[in-house]
Amino acid sequence: MKAELEAIQAEALEALKAVKSSNALESLRIEYFGRKGKLTDVMKGMGQLSNEKRPIIGKLANEVRTALTEAFEAAKNSLNNQQQEQQLETESIDITLPGRKPAYGKAHPVMQTLERIEAIFTQMGFQVVTGPEVETEHYNFDALNTPPDHPARDLHDTFYLTDGHLLRTHNSPVQIRAMENQKPPVRIIVPGKAYRVDYDVSHTPMFHQVEGLLVDRHVPFSELKGVLVSFARQMFGDQTQMRFRPHFFPFTEPSAEMDISCTVCLGKGCRSCGHTGWIEILGAGAVDPEVFRAVNYDPEEVTGFAFGMGVERIANLQFRIPDIRTFYENDLRFLHQF
Amino acid sequence: MGGVVTPIFKDLSMNVTLNWLKTYINFNFSPDELAERLTMLGIEVESVKQLGAALEGVVVGKVTSIKPHPNADKLVLCQVDIGETNALQIVCGAPNVCEGMFAPVATIGTELPTGITIKRAKLRGEESHGMLCSEKELGISDEAAGLMELSSDLSIGSPLTEALGLDDTVFELEITPNRPDCLSMIGVAREIRAETGNDLKLPHVALQEDEADINELTSVTIDAPDLCPRYAARVIRGVKIGESPAWLKQRLESIGVGVINNIVDITNFVLMEYGQPLHAFDYHKLAENRIVVRRAAEGEQITTLDEEERKLTPDMLVIADAEKPVALAGIMGGYDSEITEATCDVLLESANFQPSSVRATAKKLGINTEASYRFERGADPEAVIPALDRAAQLIMELAGGTICEGIIDVYPGQREPLQIQLRAERVNFILGTELEADEIVQILSRLGFGIEASQSEENMYQVTVPSFRGDITREIDLIEEIARVHGYDNIPTALPKGDIPIPPPNISVEVRKRIKHFLLGSGMMETVNYSFSHPNCFDKIGLAADNPLRQALQLKNPLSPEMSILRTTLLPSLLDNAQYNHNHQIDNIALFEISTVFIQAEEPARVAGILAGEIGGGVYGNPYRHPDFFDIKGVVEGTLEVCGITDYTFNKTDDLTFHPGRNAEVLLEGARIGIFGEAHPTVLESYELPYKAYLFELDLEALANAADFSKRFEPIPIYPSVLRDLAIVVNEDMQSDVPIALIYSTGGELVESVRLFDVYVGDQVPEGKKSLAYTITYHSATETLTDKAVNDLHDKVVKRLHEELGAELRM
Repeated sequence: MKAELEAIQAEALEALKAVKSSNALESLRIEYFGRKGKLTDVMKGMGQLSNEKRPIIGKLANEVRTALTEAFEAAKNSLNNQQQEQQLETESIDITLPGRKPAYGKAHPVMQTLERIEAIFTQMGFQVVTGPEVETEHYNFDALNTPPDHPARDLHDTFYLTDGHLLRTHNSPVQIRAMENQKPPVRIIVPGKAYRVDYDVSHTPMFHQVEGLLVDRHVPFSELKGVLVSFARQMFGDQTQMRFRPHFFPFTEPSAEMDISCTVCLGKGCRSCGHTGWIEILGAGAVDPEVFRAVNYDPEEVTGFAFGMGVERIANLQFRIPDIRTFYENDLRFLHQF
Repeated sequence: MGGVVTPIFKDLSMNVTLNWLKTYINFNFSPDELAERLTMLGIEVESVKQLGAALEGVVVGKVTSIKPHPNADKLVLCQVDIGETNALQIVCGAPNVCEGMFAPVATIGTELPTGITIKRAKLRGEESHGMLCSEKELGISDEAAGLMELSSDLSIGSPLTEALGLDDTVFELEITPNRPDCLSMIGVAREIRAETGNDLKLPHVALQEDEADINELTSVTIDAPDLCPRYAARVIRGVKIGESPAWLKQRLESIGVGVINNIVDITNFVLMEYGQPLHAFDYHKLAENRIVVRRAAEGEQITTLDEEERKLTPDMLVIADAEKPVALAGIMGGYDSEITEATCDVLLESANFQPSSVRATAKKLGINTEASYRFERGADPEAVIPALDRAAQLIMELAGGTICEGIIDVYPGQREPLQIQLRAERVNFILGTELEADEIVQILSRLGFGIEASQSEENMYQVTVPSFRGDITREIDLIEEIARVHGYDNIPTALPKGDIPIPPPNISVEVRKRIKHFLLGSGMMETVNYSFSHPNCFDKIGLAADNPLRQALQLKNPLSPEMSILRTTLLPSLLDNAQYNHNHQIDNIALFEISTVFIQAEEPARVAGILAGEIGGGVYGNPYRHPDFFDIKGVVEGTLEVCGITDYTFNKTDDLTFHPGRNAEVLLEGARIGIFGEAHPTVLESYELPYKAYLFELDLEALANAADFSKRFEPIPIYPSVLRDLAIVVNEDMQSDVPIALIYSTGGELVESVRLFDVYVGDQVPEGKKSLAYTITYHSATETLTDKAVNDLHDKVVKRLHEELGAELRM
């Protein structure tokens, strides 16, 4: 019987090798393990064996059974794997077909820049405030130490309304309104639109500004520098060089303009920066005592600084659009670029 | 404060040259260094140009002999000495070439401003080793008729730039409007003094006067002392009008001032030197040879130097003789009294005029001159006499004549110099510096301020402001001067030490942000449009004649009719954007804008959008499709939802911008906060759009007021829901929300949701009917619903739909 068992094992293992489908495997399984299967038959004959031989043959029979069961299991797995592989192969697709990208819009490039500027100043504790775009001469000029007779007003570039109001030429009127409404400390930025009579490749009659104001008991010029240097580092990168130049604004004293190293030539000098290596990005200065007087702050009790920057200009340091009027054509081919 | 836009406080332009400045102060800065120093002092250097840079390689040559060209009639062979061992042979065709002539020679290798590079060449078989040049070829002028003739006292072989005084550097300066004192060479030299501490070298004036007393010859009367603080005059007799000497012409030309005749050139030169405008009258053309400074009489006229006849008004200050105006004070001289070749005796004016009067008159008459430019900003009254004497001396030296004895100086506006108290510790307080008192004293004295320590108070100084610094009136102005000269870059950098104020909550910022994120996420592009609009935009969007949105604010000085009103609605801009893009073959129009509009005195914010043309990816698997009403409705619903607003209703309107059957206003507690729908066909026609467009516009303020972000947790359902589909056939005109309302009211709390998933009109349903298919979700918060309970409830729903709406169950 031993020989018989060994023959069955060898025969079954041989037969398994030839099995190519799960149906064939199942038939083979029945051939050996079925009710009338070859192995089952042998096992049935066990009862006729002597007490001596039974354990020996029984053990052998179990070994054969186990071995064959494992072999059948392995064959089944292998067949399954083959089948799955075949299945997957038929399911292969052309992955270069277009993705079904969810539609998504993009913020306007000037707004993207404005939001970055806002975020940097908000982190430094500046509060975002807004104010009217249609203004009075008082808020746009007089309260900012620019009396009617002042040469700064004599420039024909203010849009006036037929009712005597004007479109603010800068966002500074909002500083006045903010100071009128609140006691120091004041730490605000004013993002928004301003208007000037100007229309060419580097000027649009409507543009965006971010103005800032910080007023407290003691705000020296050194803190103006600190805040703006911090802004410029975050906005333009750690490698950016900065410098402050004296300038003139009626509502600040001392006044300054801030330059950063040219973003095109990195300070070496090129056409973009007029070969100076520097690009002006904003105006700033200590709030003029006359401005404090206009809002009933005592200039001996408080000091502060204000600054203002053109958003289109800053946006264009990055985008380098030759004609900035393109910003307001809202050509989708343009808007999709940013 | 600046931007890409022209700064509102425009700077003034002034040219100075390195050599000219060096006549007033010693310094060793290279041109680039000087530019840097001036810029960091607040005088921005717009450009630095090397004069004659284009003339490198051109030297002074002398034509020593000329012989005919063997092969060409119009050419000659010249031997030209350029200071080297051998003379050069140069072929020349200029008509004026002659032996002994001094002319510029472009040597081999020179690149001329015209772009020609000089090479050794054979012209009709004869060698030519360079080129004799005309002024045009050198880019000096348009004179091309012959060779440029040079003075025979020039050194042969010397570079032309040097020989002509062209080896100079011109700086174009931007002078801020508060610094009229820097609109002069001496003014800029003073700034260099502040930087270097070197002394100024002012022109040496030593006048030789003759016997004739000026008071016998003329008089000056100021009838309007409020507008003319000072008027001084000298008389110079026997001058000979002619050409100015080369050095004077060079100076003026180097900074771009045109050359006229010696007298005018001298007044211009002194103007540039001192910043003091001067005017020379032909003495004999002044009636009674005297000067009256007065306001113009009503109806008076004057013909100015530019030969324009000007009508005068009584607010204008004129310089008159005994009878008539002879000059517009501080602006321009009169044509009839100007210096001509026949002029022999000159009355020279040096005066000071009130800035706003000059500005008003110049503006009214539309004249802008070097003189008005300076008087408008404020000239130095103390420069009047030095400039007058300097000019008188130059006239005597360069135009002959003698200076009459004495000077007339009427000075009604004379004032004591201004004194300002300066607290040394205030300087450091304002700047955040630690300057020592002696540094402060040194800076101010170098700037020309008088400074004395106070006897009574420590760290207190008495500062006397020089007459040329009319812009300095307060302590803070002195502090700026100290900061400027100390150097802004030398001021420390510090972060604010003060408390950060606590900002009040700002819901409208939050609402705006959420809406923007939602719209971007919905595939709409953000646009930004001008606030300006064309008045016809209201007709184009079909607004009724009495629509209040037509009451737009108007600009007094618009750039164009298209930009002449302030918009009251964002819809025309978005339609313009759609049209623009369609005209450029871009038809995937999904745009929005968030902006304020201008409704009389109010500036409410709006959010508006447009869907038109094709939306979707436009690729295989995600084809384009045309948007419809329900796309824009979904955008509006989503916008309301991200604001946490749920209690809104939609209601059809007869708004003429929209298709009458395909629009809705958005109502919150009965008030309209916006509108959306399909654009009316006539609106599409106005904007030449070949496809339907869907628009919405909502009031952001109203959304912010109604916004509710106070979310509360609701328990996740414990018991399972049961879903039942229901298809009913109803009359075609029934609104889809009517059955929904009935289902909710029937099921009460047990109906969790009702979702419409199909609408069908066609063969399967009778004419005039439609089929609506809903999924109803039944759910109880307290138990698991049994099949029987759900079936009973569902049957009740079906029954009521049938009884109350005539709805038939569709099998």
